[in-house]
Amino acid sequence: MNSILNNIIFHRPADVPAACALLASLPNAAILAGGTDLVVKLRNGVLPAVTDLIDVCALRLGTIAVEGGKLRIGSGCTMEQIRNNPLVAARFPALVSAVGQVGALQIRHAATIGGNVGNASPAGDSIPALMSLEASVVLAGPKGSRTVPLADFFTGPGRTVMLKGELIEAFELPDRSTKGCFLKMGERLAHAISKVSLALTTWDAGAGKRSVRIALGAVAPKVIRALAAEKLLEAEAWPPKKEILERAVQAVCEAATPIDDVRSTKGYRKKIAGVLLERAVRSLPDAL
Amino acid sequence: MSDSALVKIRFQLNGSPVETDVVPTMTLLELLRRTFLLTAAKEGCGKGECGACTVLVNGEPVNSCLRLAASLRPEDRVETLEGLEKDPLMAIVQQSYVDAGAVQCGFCIPGMVISSYSLLKRVPQPTEHQIKEALSGNICRCTGYRKIIAAVRQAGNTAGNGAKGGRP
Repeated sequence: MNSILNNIIFHRPADVPAACALLASLPNAAILAGGTDLVVKLRNGVLPAVTDLIDVCALRLGTIAVEGGKLRIGSGCTMEQIRNNPLVAARFPALVSAVGQVGALQIRHAATIGGNVGNASPAGDSIPALMSLEASVVLAGPKGSRTVPLADFFTGPGRTVMLKGELIEAFELPDRSTKGCFLKMGERLAHAISKVSLALTTWDAGAGKRSVRIALGAVAPKVIRALAAEKLLEAEAWPPKKEILERAVQAVCEAATPIDDVRSTKGYRKKIAGVLLERAVRSLPDAL
Repeated sequence: MSDSALVKIRFQLNGSPVETDVVPTMTLLELLRRTFLLTAAKEGCGKGECGACTVLVNGEPVNSCLRLAASLRPEDRVETLEGLEKDPLMAIVQQSYVDAGAVQCGFCIPGMVISSYSLLKRVPQPTEHQIKEALSGNICRCTGYRKIIAAVRQAGNTAGNGAKGGRP
């Protein structure tokens, strides 16, 4: 056990404004929430520049509530907390499915959704689900709060539009009844970083049709929507006929622009993105 | 390192309030083993994948190797295997592991029995799938999972029979 980095200062701000003020004034501070990613990096020495840890666990960011037509999920909610929350379960099966596939139980009891999104990994498992649910990110900062659509939040791998002094306070999801799921391909069921992931969310659009949102993880520098495939599936009555689904599968493969890396290859990822869409559509309760 | 870098923490450890000073990057696992000499929880991988360091925080299993001790609050309840020594359900879990021959080298077992105990608290009669999911964050390098799964199922049966007031 060689983890001791003696020069780091630990801060326990009492509220969100105090946390933002610290973040604004300390150039090399890191936010500590669940710690499941940050502590591993600190111990492995990959964050040598970090001088300060700002513990946000006591900021009461762990609540889930319906407010003004939106479901608000605090950034400090753990994966298991979201997975077991009845408000989430009644509305957003894709999110329940996604947070239940992060790490293993011990990780999910500590890891927060704010951390998973804030890390801005293209393979972060909660992100495609939130994207398919048209989530927005509520950011708190020294000058007050602002809301950014999740689709505009990421600028690249590990990079976001967050400004100095800002922290993620919550996520807001349009309050609607949806069907959906999240599927990932990894080395094993638990503790696997996704090679490819896909979230599918649908909701009633009237006249036998459904609105469709498809988001793909780990196939581009950031999580992306498969807009062409969505349009194909939205144009006809739900569930889609075989040939429509085949075209949508093809469109998903074309939307994916993956790379070769340690976890998988470009060709495999492209192919599997389509396979995941077909499995996702067929897994929904109203599939043929 | 100056003393000003130390963080004063208070929390509940195995049912009793404790207070100590820690360096900011000390993990809960290091605190338990070094300061409190509670050595059931072990460091296997040190990155939250093997589960040998599993303890209960506020009743839920977490990797103590990833929890910074400085983040503990007075209301946080930490339970280690030592603190569950007299718990009737834990006694059943441990006896079931012995009866099933589920222990090989033993290094993973403190974490395994904590995860098993935690599952049985929530789900008294788990399915095989539920057992596998609950133990998916605990890795046995001797790879003896069949007997571990059998032990958890047996523990559920034994505890269930006890609750109904007798053996079948």
